[in-house]
Amino acid sequence: MSDNLTLPAQQGSADASSPSPETLLTVEGLTKHFPIYGGFPIRRKVGAVQAVDGVDLSVGVGESVGLVGESGCGKSTTGRLITRLLEPTAGRITYAGQDITHATRRQLAPVRSEIQMIFQDPYSSLNPRQTVGTIIKSPMEVNGIEPAGGREKKVRELLELVGLNPEHYNRFPHEFSGGQRQRIGVARALALNPKLIIADEPVSALDVSIQAQVVNLLQKVQDELGIAFVFIAHDLAIVRHFSQRIAVMYLGKVVEVGDRDSIYNRPRHPYTHALLSAVPEVEIDAEEDSRERIRLSGDVPSPIHPPSGCRFRTRCWKAQDKCATEEPPLVQISGNRGGHLTACHFPEDPTTEDRGEDIVLDPALAALEDDAAK
Amino acid sequence: MLLEVRDLHVEFRTRDGIAKAVNGVSYAVDAGETLAVLGESGSGKSVTAQAVMGILDMPPGRITGGEILFKGRDLLKLKEDQRRSVRGAEMAMIFQDALSSLNPVLSVGDQLGEMFVVHRGMSRKDARAKAVELMDRVRIPAARERVRQYPHQFSGGMRQRIMIAMALALEPALIIADEPTTALDVTVQAQVMDLLAELQREYRMGLILITHDLGVVADVADRIAVMYAGRIVESAPVHDIYKAPAHPYTRGLLDSIPRLDQKGQELYAIKGLPPNLLHIPPGCPFHPRCPMAQDVCRTDVPPLYEVSATRGSACHFWRECLHA
Repeated sequence: MSDNLTLPAQQGSADASSPSPETLLTVEGLTKHFPIYGGFPIRRKVGAVQAVDGVDLSVGVGESVGLVGESGCGKSTTGRLITRLLEPTAGRITYAGQDITHATRRQLAPVRSEIQMIFQDPYSSLNPRQTVGTIIKSPMEVNGIEPAGGREKKVRELLELVGLNPEHYNRFPHEFSGGQRQRIGVARALALNPKLIIADEPVSALDVSIQAQVVNLLQKVQDELGIAFVFIAHDLAIVRHFSQRIAVMYLGKVVEVGDRDSIYNRPRHPYTHALLSAVPEVEIDAEEDSRERIRLSGDVPSPIHPPSGCRFRTRCWKAQDKCATEEPPLVQISGNRGGHLTACHFPEDPTTEDRGEDIVLDPALAALEDDAAK
Repeated sequence: MLLEVRDLHVEFRTRDGIAKAVNGVSYAVDAGETLAVLGESGSGKSVTAQAVMGILDMPPGRITGGEILFKGRDLLKLKEDQRRSVRGAEMAMIFQDALSSLNPVLSVGDQLGEMFVVHRGMSRKDARAKAVELMDRVRIPAARERVRQYPHQFSGGMRQRIMIAMALALEPALIIADEPTTALDVTVQAQVMDLLAELQREYRMGLILITHDLGVVADVADRIAVMYAGRIVESAPVHDIYKAPAHPYTRGLLDSIPRLDQKGQELYAIKGLPPNLLHIPPGCPFHPRCPMAQDVCRTDVPPLYEVSATRGSACHFWRECLHA
């Protein structure tokens, strides 16, 4: 259905520093602070939620970059900034060589059709009063695009591509299940032949048996149409499955970025270690659980008053005085593969193997384990 | 046996007809044992738990058959006031969404203390002291100060701890946790899951863990019951299930999870959709989605075949599935 059938840049065993043939999107120092107003009688700005604070990221043509982190780490805000649904406070977004950070509506118009979004909630992201045909057609109408054979034909092709019956053109969203609605969302995103899709938790609202169907569909779309993806998710297993490169975010900053094997097998940032260790895994051989076990204490601190220096230091077992005063830069530390950058003063060993002793920072668990030991 | 559910049937009257949510579910939990009930939305896993707790909305719900034996007594034959003394004191429930399960206009101390005032007839002052003790037990920092705070002043993980504290308050013999960590972040989820498992061991409680996440249960459960369309399709010790599932639905669920050790390949996906409870397919309810379905599956409802002494599978072809 598209003239662009080249396969995406395959991430081979070669190191990731060799820049992908062509960079589609570059984000530098991207920042978004949401102001907080308060005070009486005159409301004034009393602070800011530092949702995204200096994020650097690049996405190559046809590449899939995963953005992972816990809620409140700024991954969704980053996605919305890239699509310019939100206005950045600072930083630079370059798309295909063009600076779109503060581009006007008019300047953005041609770019908008190339960057599309898939939302998390398949129920609220489709207009219940429009038919599926109208929903998928509307991006073409808005942009005045008349594909060969007419819009309706294109919509039917799209429905078929995402695995829905083209005869369902005149049905309404409520007649479809969650997984099918998400397919409608995908069809709408594909309507304008985009080059980049921002998928914000596209499968987390779906049932387990349906998740796999939608992930396979996205994978097919990426492979066959060579569309670049920014895949935002909190499920590390799905991100690993889908993305060639992964960026781990914590409190508005990227703390570690690298190609998938490097991040999952040789993580260096303590937070990445903790995140990977917290993923419940279906162990076939439950006896030999050889993964390290790390249990952090507490929750992510407030992005209104983030900790000084390294933002992770309040939950980190390696934190020292330096971490409170100096913010670690995102750099390639010795022992890392090319392209694998880590923002940490005291990086961990590059392994996820079981260590001699578990790291349990949670006082509740530590106390219970002490009791059990007695 | 601490709890035994036998051939439970629950249905709901809806505008479009009768939805058969639970169709002959049987399971058992002993003290100190963890049973994970696994299923997708609409599989009847929560409805079964609500029937056990006696918090099912009736109407529209209706228990049309079966027994729920708790310490040998059939709970379905008890009067509401007798049921009330069991609920909370002898069995307690932890819900998915801690924020909406807590009362926003009462301090957490009042809500924890209420358990002791109502069930144990304690004075408010003593109950407050008990509340602090409980918050200490689930290791909420600075419990003495925080006991006066309201639910919105706690983070998601801390709220779930308060729910756990509340469930533990009267030291029940059985706890039912309905998706206790689904709303939490991974790192917090791991904390809460570990805490729950440790406390369960310490108090030797029976624990029913309801979840849709196969990963969560692998570490903590002793047994798993997989539900589909209101029936248990497979029931087995956790080890056996992960090693070799004896039902195609379980196999499909296991295969459709992206594992950390594989990437890029196409995921196995169970085709089709979960059934509509108003029109459950005849025969085996899974047959329209099953890769192994034969003619017999379309007509005969498979009973729970005995695979081994501790294991059952409701599939006519469990042998083939086990050795696939």
